[in-house]
Amino acid sequence: MTTTPTDHRTTTTHRPRRHTTPPPRRAPHPARSRRESAVRVGRLAGEQLAVASGQVGAGVGNLLFALVAARLLAPSAFAELAAFLALYLLIHVPAGSLSAGSALSPELAAHARRRALIGGAAVGGALAVLAVPLGALLDLSPLLLLAAAAAAPTAPLLALDRGRLYGLGRRTRAVASLLAEPAVRLTIGVAFAALVGAVGGAIAVVAAGWAALAVAQLPPGETAGRDAAERTRFDRTEAAPRGGAAAAPSRPQTGLAIAAFLLLAVIQNQDVLFANALLDGDEAGRFAVLSTLGGAAAFATTTVPLMLLPRAGRDALRAALGVAVVLGLAAVAVVAVTPGGLVSLVFGGRYEQVGALAVPYVLAMALLGVARVFVAHACAGDRARRAVLVLAPVALLHLALIVALGDDAAGVATATLISTTVLTAGTAAIALPRPLAVRIPREAVWVAAIALGGLVLRLLATRGIWLDEATEIHQAQMPMSAMLENLRTIDVHPPLHHIILWGTVRLLGTGELAVRVPSLIAATAMIPLIYAAARDIYDRRAGLAAAVLASVAPFAVWYADEARMYAVFMVFALLAVWMQVRILRGGGAGAWIGYVVAAAALVYTQYFGILFVGTQQLAFAVALARGAVPLRRYLAWSALLVLLVAPLVPFALDQFSANESAGRGFQQPSQAGGSVEPGAAPGAYAALTNLAWAVLGYHSNATMTALAAMWPLGLLLALSLLGRGRSWPTMLVVACALAPGVALFVLGQLKPFVFEVRYFIGAVPLALMLIARALTSWARRPAVVAGACAAVAAIMGLGLADQQLNGSNPRVYDFKSALSRIEARAEPGDVIVFTPQYLDHVVAYYEDGGLKMQPLDDGLPAPRRGHKLFLLASFQDKPQYRSAAQDAVRKLSRRHELVRRDRVPQILTWEFRR
Amino acid sequence: MTTITDTRLRRPAWSAAGPDSVRRRWIRLLLVAMVPLALFYFAWLLQPDRIGNPVLYVLLLGAELFNACQALGFWWTCSRERPWRRSEWNDLPPAVDVFIPVYDEPVAVVEPTVRAASELTGAEVTVHVLDDGDSDEIAEMARRTRARYIRRAEHEGAKAGNINNALACTDAPFVMVLDCDHVPEQHFLEATLGCFNDDRVAFAQTPQYYANWDRGEVPAAAWGQQALFFGPIARGKDGHDAMFCCGTNVVFRRVALLDVGGFPTESVTEDFELSIALHERGWRSRYVPEVLAHGLGPEDMASYVGQQQRWSRGCLSALPTVLRSSLPLRQKVQYALSASFFLSGWTVLVYMTFPVVRLVTGAQPLASTTADQFLGHFAPYFGLSLLAVTVLGGGAYTFKAFALQAASFWIHVQSTVLTVLGRRGSFVVTPKEGVEGRQPRAVAPALAAIAVLLAVAGYGLLRDRDPATLNNVAFASLHIAVLLAGVVPALRRRPLAMVAPRPHPVPT
Repeated sequence: MTTTPTDHRTTTTHRPRRHTTPPPRRAPHPARSRRESAVRVGRLAGEQLAVASGQVGAGVGNLLFALVAARLLAPSAFAELAAFLALYLLIHVPAGSLSAGSALSPELAAHARRRALIGGAAVGGALAVLAVPLGALLDLSPLLLLAAAAAAPTAPLLALDRGRLYGLGRRTRAVASLLAEPAVRLTIGVAFAALVGAVGGAIAVVAAGWAALAVAQLPPGETAGRDAAERTRFDRTEAAPRGGAAAAPSRPQTGLAIAAFLLLAVIQNQDVLFANALLDGDEAGRFAVLSTLGGAAAFATTTVPLMLLPRAGRDALRAALGVAVVLGLAAVAVVAVTPGGLVSLVFGGRYEQVGALAVPYVLAMALLGVARVFVAHACAGDRARRAVLVLAPVALLHLALIVALGDDAAGVATATLISTTVLTAGTAAIALPRPLAVRIPREAVWVAAIALGGLVLRLLATRGIWLDEATEIHQAQMPMSAMLENLRTIDVHPPLHHIILWGTVRLLGTGELAVRVPSLIAATAMIPLIYAAARDIYDRRAGLAAAVLASVAPFAVWYADEARMYAVFMVFALLAVWMQVRILRGGGAGAWIGYVVAAAALVYTQYFGILFVGTQQLAFAVALARGAVPLRRYLAWSALLVLLVAPLVPFALDQFSANESAGRGFQQPSQAGGSVEPGAAPGAYAALTNLAWAVLGYHSNATMTALAAMWPLGLLLALSLLGRGRSWPTMLVVACALAPGVALFVLGQLKPFVFEVRYFIGAVPLALMLIARALTSWARRPAVVAGACAAVAAIMGLGLADQQLNGSNPRVYDFKSALSRIEARAEPGDVIVFTPQYLDHVVAYYEDGGLKMQPLDDGLPAPRRGHKLFLLASFQDKPQYRSAAQDAVRKLSRRHELVRRDRVPQILTWEFRR
Repeated sequence: MTTITDTRLRRPAWSAAGPDSVRRRWIRLLLVAMVPLALFYFAWLLQPDRIGNPVLYVLLLGAELFNACQALGFWWTCSRERPWRRSEWNDLPPAVDVFIPVYDEPVAVVEPTVRAASELTGAEVTVHVLDDGDSDEIAEMARRTRARYIRRAEHEGAKAGNINNALACTDAPFVMVLDCDHVPEQHFLEATLGCFNDDRVAFAQTPQYYANWDRGEVPAAAWGQQALFFGPIARGKDGHDAMFCCGTNVVFRRVALLDVGGFPTESVTEDFELSIALHERGWRSRYVPEVLAHGLGPEDMASYVGQQQRWSRGCLSALPTVLRSSLPLRQKVQYALSASFFLSGWTVLVYMTFPVVRLVTGAQPLASTTADQFLGHFAPYFGLSLLAVTVLGGGAYTFKAFALQAASFWIHVQSTVLTVLGRRGSFVVTPKEGVEGRQPRAVAPALAAIAVLLAVAGYGLLRDRDPATLNNVAFASLHIAVLLAGVVPALRRRPLAMVAPRPHPVPT
């Protein structure tokens, strides 16, 4: 017998699932069709909302039961009941994926019920047998485990039957089943808990599960007929446009749908499981609170995809998406009103700090809800395999991010937010109907993959908060007007990045990763941006090479991990130069707008951005002289640029005069390599060092000295450029990359500190683009080009590894480790003394344990007998701070016992006990 | 439609024309900026406390001063470039004898040149094939193309003797000389004869364009060197009234040639010495910056080496003539600069010696200085020099051209020694077709230098890894990289085409 591959939706070997009505032969009138569609969407959204209300009602009821139990039971008994509830969820959540299968294929419930019962009973039996040892292991009463064992058979059955109800469109029965659970819990459960304690409550929970199952399995009543009638109407209107009579999904499709929903459950829950393993007790507790809060948002949208599954079609998708988005945003909005207050109200004051993470985490769960809708739509449209192919790597990415970032609750929350964002984008790509979906060229996939790799690198390369970051975070926590006033009077930076951080802090909190999100986004966005720019200015190969180099460029990675303006500076500089090239090629208003916005943003980000803009204006002057740009157009757009920048002038003047009158100095770390004297006027060696930093990243003084000694290879590079780079776009890019550095080199003869690559960091993406161009144009054979790019990327990768992992990197100031070690050893009443004085913000950032802190300049305090004094000293390469720390140690040693001396990169700590 | 396989029949991919007046002004500004940078560097270098090892210091100073003189000469030459405007011949079309010297070249190479020469417009042209190879096939080809065929009984004086013999057999007031591989454009004479409106002009030289520049790395690099000469240098020499004859693609006034007794036959660079003689006699020269003939450059390393050996032997042996001549100072300096260029290989040898000596013995030319100081003074001068070459050369002079020249350092050394010893060179015709296969013997001295540098760098790294050692290893690596880039074409089995051959469709 031979088989012929056929589309199972049209083959007669499959039994029609919905009906056998042929599709309409005549296309509906467009206007009428739109109207009908709107009506359908509204009706479907109503159905979705009705069932979701049942779900929310069930959630609220269950929460009420928990809150009542918390007040009824003694804390230890409530803890036992909570543990039982967690175990109950652990059984029910994976089994819940069966709902997807039976919603997609309602007959599956009937077929699989027996097997599900056997499976559930087996799990229950195992739990019952192991109740005593497991109870000892988990510190739970064996009776609670026996109760969990009794609940085990209900989990798959309930999932199958609720799925069947969604699949058959019997929403009234579904809502009834959902509400049955809290109803039983709040009546029998409360009574039992009051009478018997935790075990009573647990028994009631099990009974509630069985009751919900019973409701779900009751024979159909009158409402079923109405539901069925509605469903038939739906089938006529929805299924037909898909191209004919819809057929039942094949068994593998159903299996894949179950797998997809199982993976969704993994993504939803693995963070709390791993957070428990990775974080210490308190932090794990904080994340548990966060997870509970986010879980509520995810719970609210649980039924939406299940309702969608049997109703594939654009209108059903729109309705489901609308409901998921509305519910998700509502959850975010509720939390955003007063996150700290809400957490305090529900979980107690000790968890108030978690409020800072509540909005992003609830947002992550809202995104998960949207992603579930896309997954459901994909499964209903025979794209379950693709859904699984998206979900599996995202689950792995989520796990990797949790491990990489899981230093605290904020890190785990960020991992979840990133993963759910990626998940939503990925599932949307596979699920959206063709007219909505963008056809993605293969090259874009490559760039996306490179950008994803770059993002992972940036996330893995973490370090503690640096001095300037701590100061900026401190400023960003002020009210906006106070922050701007603070900037105007005591700072030297323009306000754009501070404003971005101000918003970030309010949205995401002050966690390490949260405050670095803008930099992370900018440094990651630089990858596709540099690809687009290099492709536009040069060619495809240069674009791809530039993207690869940007993904591993040590500087891009370093400043992605710093809550300062440098990553944003790079992006704006790149954008401004790209737009100028487009203008000089005859680009229209779009290019001009892009240029003006980028140039203005550059100046608002860093005052040294004016050097880039100035270079570009010189280039415009040359272009005007050659008639390459119409004068009127140039004047008009330049006037707009001046208008945009003008408000910054008085601000900058105020800053300048305030700083001049205060005579404030500038301290910077010694990081120029052994051969460059800090504070000396920059010379050729300093220029080389800056060049090495820009391309290969920050390294130890010994490495920098060795790298700088290799300067003759720079002559080789210069020789190799003979006769090259004469195209005007290249000359423009070279000019914009070089001129700001040269200007600061000259200025550095008067004020040495200004000649530092951070201040002309916009040159970095331009240099990367030029390197990419050189690599891809020197040779013609693709293999040679690929080899050269790989070699350069590997060298940069080595530079990156040394930058991030070498503890001798003089840019690494590990305040985080130093202060966390102190915190681990400190007790209430202990004192931290630090020097120099300007460590105050970074010490305050990390020290949240209520210890007393003071700068050494304020004198040495005398701790009470038995208490400790921690001395923390940094910038010990500066004589004044070194001698201050040594004096303090000498004095303290006379009166106190030196218990411990510790050293982390660039920080020394001493622990004295009185 | 048919496709052209002879690269000489394609349109030129290069223009010899100079920049416009605005750009020329910028270039002059750039050149003016170079002088103080050079002075800044040498003022630092010449301070007594810079002297490390005295011998090495003197060698360094000598090399640096030589290169500085060449660089200053280059900038000075280029700064006098004058705008070119083609002028028409202001009389009835004159008679022109076109000489095409041949010496054993294949008919396939010669015939397109003869045919194109026969079709020259703007004059009454008589094409003469001057066959020193005594080839019956060439004679048959000349008959076929209706060119006059001249064969000598005795072949004395090589190419110069051949042309002198033809001069005696002809009588047109103008003589055009074309190497047998150089296919002229139809308007060649229209573009050049206008120069002779000035009765004092002896000859008008046009660029020697290598139409086969894309046939491999050697012709590409050789063309890079040619393009720099026939671009800004030739245009500048024209501005100094010091353009010399390059032996082909040139039109002479017969009277001028006869005035100096025809081509000198004692030199292997007869064109160079002829130019000196003409200028000494008060004749003028002109350079026409238009590609008017398409020739073939050396296609393999052996051909290139042979050509360079001939040029360097000839020019170095002409150096005493230049210095003794009664030329005006400006012209004398121009000739001296051109002739002494073939000493530059010595400076490459000197520079390569320093890391070797430093890594082996620890001796170095400079003392009491830091890399910071050295770079601070040297880098601006060096960087702007490279920029000037790039800008002036219009991008034609590339790293590969530089590397090929640096890897040929030994040719200059060899030629100097042979010239000093008084050994006479023989005229060797540059082969017109490349040979496939590796030619390591043609670059053996450069390979030996690479081996020495590699060994010394390895030795240095094994001994120490302090910054000073790393610095000298980096210097050695720089030389290795440059030499390797220069010799690699000789080590390939097949030449690497620079641009995928793209046949040009022409109507039939």
